[in-house]
Amino acid sequence: MLSRNYREKTIEWALFLVSALTVVILLLICLFLFRDGLLLFKDTSLMDFLTGKFWYPTSINRQFGLLPLFFGSLIVTAGAILFAVPLGIASAIYISEIADPKVADFLKPFIEILAGVPSVVFGFFGLVVLVPIIQHSFNLPTGQTALTGSIMLGIMALPTIITISEDAISSVPSTLEQGSLALGATKWQTIYRVVVPAALSGISAGVMLGIGRAIGETMTLMMVTGNTAVIPSFPGGFLAPVRTMTATIALEMGEVPQGSTHFHALFAVGSVLFIITLLVNLIADSIKKRYKFKVD
Amino acid sequence: MTEAVQNVSQPQIQVENLNLWYGEKQALKNVSMQIPKNSITALIGPSGCGKSTFIRCLNRMNDLIKDCRIEGRVLTEGKDIYGPNIDVVDLRKKVGMVFQKPNPFPMSIYDNVAYGPRIHGANRKDLDGIVEQALRSAAIWNEISDRLKSPALSLSGGQQQRLCIARTLAVKPKIILFDEPTSALDPISTSRIEDLIINLKKDYTIVIVTHNMQQAARISDYTGFFLMGELIEFGQTRQIFQNPREKSTEDYITGRFG
Amino acid sequence: MELDAKVSESGDKAIRVKGGLSMRFNAKISEKIAFALLGLSALTVVGFVLVILGYIIYNGYSAINIGFLTEMPRLMMTEGGIYPAIVGTIYLIIGSMSIALPMGIMAAVYLNEYAGETRTTWLIEMAINNLAGTPSVVFGLFGLALFVKYFGFGSSLLSSSLTLALLILPVIIRSTEEALITVPKEYRESSLALGVSKWQTIRHVVLPAAIPGIITGSVLSIGRVAGETAPILFTGVAYFLPRLPDSIYSQFMALPYHLFVLATAGTNIEKTRPIQYGTALVLLLIVLGLNLVAVLIRRHYRNKLKI
Repeated sequence: MLSRNYREKTIEWALFLVSALTVVILLLICLFLFRDGLLLFKDTSLMDFLTGKFWYPTSINRQFGLLPLFFGSLIVTAGAILFAVPLGIASAIYISEIADPKVADFLKPFIEILAGVPSVVFGFFGLVVLVPIIQHSFNLPTGQTALTGSIMLGIMALPTIITISEDAISSVPSTLEQGSLALGATKWQTIYRVVVPAALSGISAGVMLGIGRAIGETMTLMMVTGNTAVIPSFPGGFLAPVRTMTATIALEMGEVPQGSTHFHALFAVGSVLFIITLLVNLIADSIKKRYKFKVD
Repeated sequence: MTEAVQNVSQPQIQVENLNLWYGEKQALKNVSMQIPKNSITALIGPSGCGKSTFIRCLNRMNDLIKDCRIEGRVLTEGKDIYGPNIDVVDLRKKVGMVFQKPNPFPMSIYDNVAYGPRIHGANRKDLDGIVEQALRSAAIWNEISDRLKSPALSLSGGQQQRLCIARTLAVKPKIILFDEPTSALDPISTSRIEDLIINLKKDYTIVIVTHNMQQAARISDYTGFFLMGELIEFGQTRQIFQNPREKSTEDYITGRFG
Repeated sequence: MELDAKVSESGDKAIRVKGGLSMRFNAKISEKIAFALLGLSALTVVGFVLVILGYIIYNGYSAINIGFLTEMPRLMMTEGGIYPAIVGTIYLIIGSMSIALPMGIMAAVYLNEYAGETRTTWLIEMAINNLAGTPSVVFGLFGLALFVKYFGFGSSLLSSSLTLALLILPVIIRSTEEALITVPKEYRESSLALGVSKWQTIRHVVLPAAIPGIITGSVLSIGRVAGETAPILFTGVAYFLPRLPDSIYSQFMALPYHLFVLATAGTNIEKTRPIQYGTALVLLLIVLGLNLVAVLIRRHYRNKLKI
């Protein structure tokens, strides 16, 4: 009996330690990212990095300004969200509220497939199909633009937005719906006056996570946005090449000497990226938590 | 463990001043009871009266519930099961439990019965014998002896419940707790299980929670009546049903509430 | 809820203004239009999937043959097969899954079966959520800093496998937790009531009952490993290698990176288009095949429960 209790306790501790490892990993990510990132500020001031308008990492007069990359990420993500959010929410409403269960069961695998397609395949498709289309329809010197990135990124963010919104919508108690229907409201009136408002925080959590996914996307954007590090204008910037923070890291890390200022600059960009996604996730989390309260 | 030194007149289960709280809410109030060996004790009362909570104290299943606090003593064989040196796992080997809803594991019939003995280290050679013995004691052997390898979930509800009883018997407990074992079953399955329980009395001490007063009257030797967390009356079944001392017991038995 | 009230208030106004039969009629029409638009949105999403898959399949299938799958690349990768990239991807799957799967299952068992509602549990849950949301390129940076440099594993299969293992760890934990939640409480109770200890109950009843769900989740994360590029970019993947990796410290080729290189930086991008389509299709088939396996397991399990 004693040995069994000893064994049980040991196992529980072992399991606990493994799960606590996730916290350690997160802390290590912070530590290693920030440690190399902070070394940049031996050579460049924090202000120059955060407000610098030029990213010239290899010229003689090198500058490590974050702004072109930050706005690059911002414009591409904003464009993606602009079309993915309405499309995603509409699809989620259709699947969970309107479609016949059989139709919904037919539709869902497509969304799972979309979620499973690797980002290089999206990038490849964008490169060989969308880039020429954009180039010709807008008569541009190159089809590798922020808009191209936005469209591909939007498609990629759809599964996240749809799945989470769908969960939120189907978890609205059916009594709420029935109450509205019993008052003589049509199904559509019920959906947009009762169901969607009740599911709104769940839907926003889905949107936040979709944004998180979009900001962090690398390969696709590297392949379709042209990677020119200039601050994009608005809205004309959509039709010009841009370069995101993620693409910058992926493009340049392979060629920089380890321990150089440029190397540290890329870690600093990585740190910024990490902090942004961390915030986005925390917001999504707190929205979800509030939403749980309501259901109770 | 030590059958020889056991005092025959000593009750199998002795409950002293048992109090139980779920968080702030008190669910059992000062319950005391003595349950004799090789008897059937029925616990009755309206739903929410604490009878199911009480029976779950006897094998410490309430330990699984968060915010559950217990005071008082529950003695079996003279030892407090809430005492400091008690191993809950060992306790539950001695005090078996059959639940309201038949809940066989998603395994074969054979593996369901063999599950307990296997984990408790039974010899592989003895296993067939243990399984057969348990299934015979649970009066289900004849119906299923030819399909021991088929999934337990393919059995009917009544058969599943007898399988669950066999699964409990295979661990060789001394006490078996039944928590409304027939409430999910049809009348024929119910009467089979009642017969089975009466048969098991010669080898086991049995405590059964039931919302069915006829069932309590039919099978039990002793009856306890619970109301709002209190044990209102406890005595021989015939006395409780024919000659209750308390007014509320009489009201309940004659169907005036609950 | 505040929003809810506002919306219905303005709605009431609209009803009062229009009133009567015409309002009923308008409501019917607007419902028709709305439903049509919503259906169109769902169709658009399906359209995206069909166009992307269709395009890659249509252009890729002629490139795929036995030689393509089993031969080494030749002539600066402008001819020949993609064998080493397939092997590299398989090694990555084996390497990262053998680390992440046991860890993920253990963590999920702790969180679902043991953990109370404590601060520590909250912290762990939060860490898992944030790991799940961390961009893959950040994992790449981390893998470079920790495994390649700090631990000195170099640019290698080992560093990449470890990096990918961290990336899919949250996915495996979450899917295992979901599988564990669906195991009925009754199984645990009745096992405990037989005098079986908690761990033995988990090992012999809870985990076996959760295995279909765990497998489904793992299969999906295999797809993720096969498709990720950014995390291996600076931790071990190679542009071209004349031979297969011979130890965990070797560099390796991988399908997604191979596709990326050929499509963006190859020696002759136009000439190698067929190889690119073929590689994209192989990658897609692996990922979709795994998704299909996951669906089949789920369906099989659901049918079995129905008995």
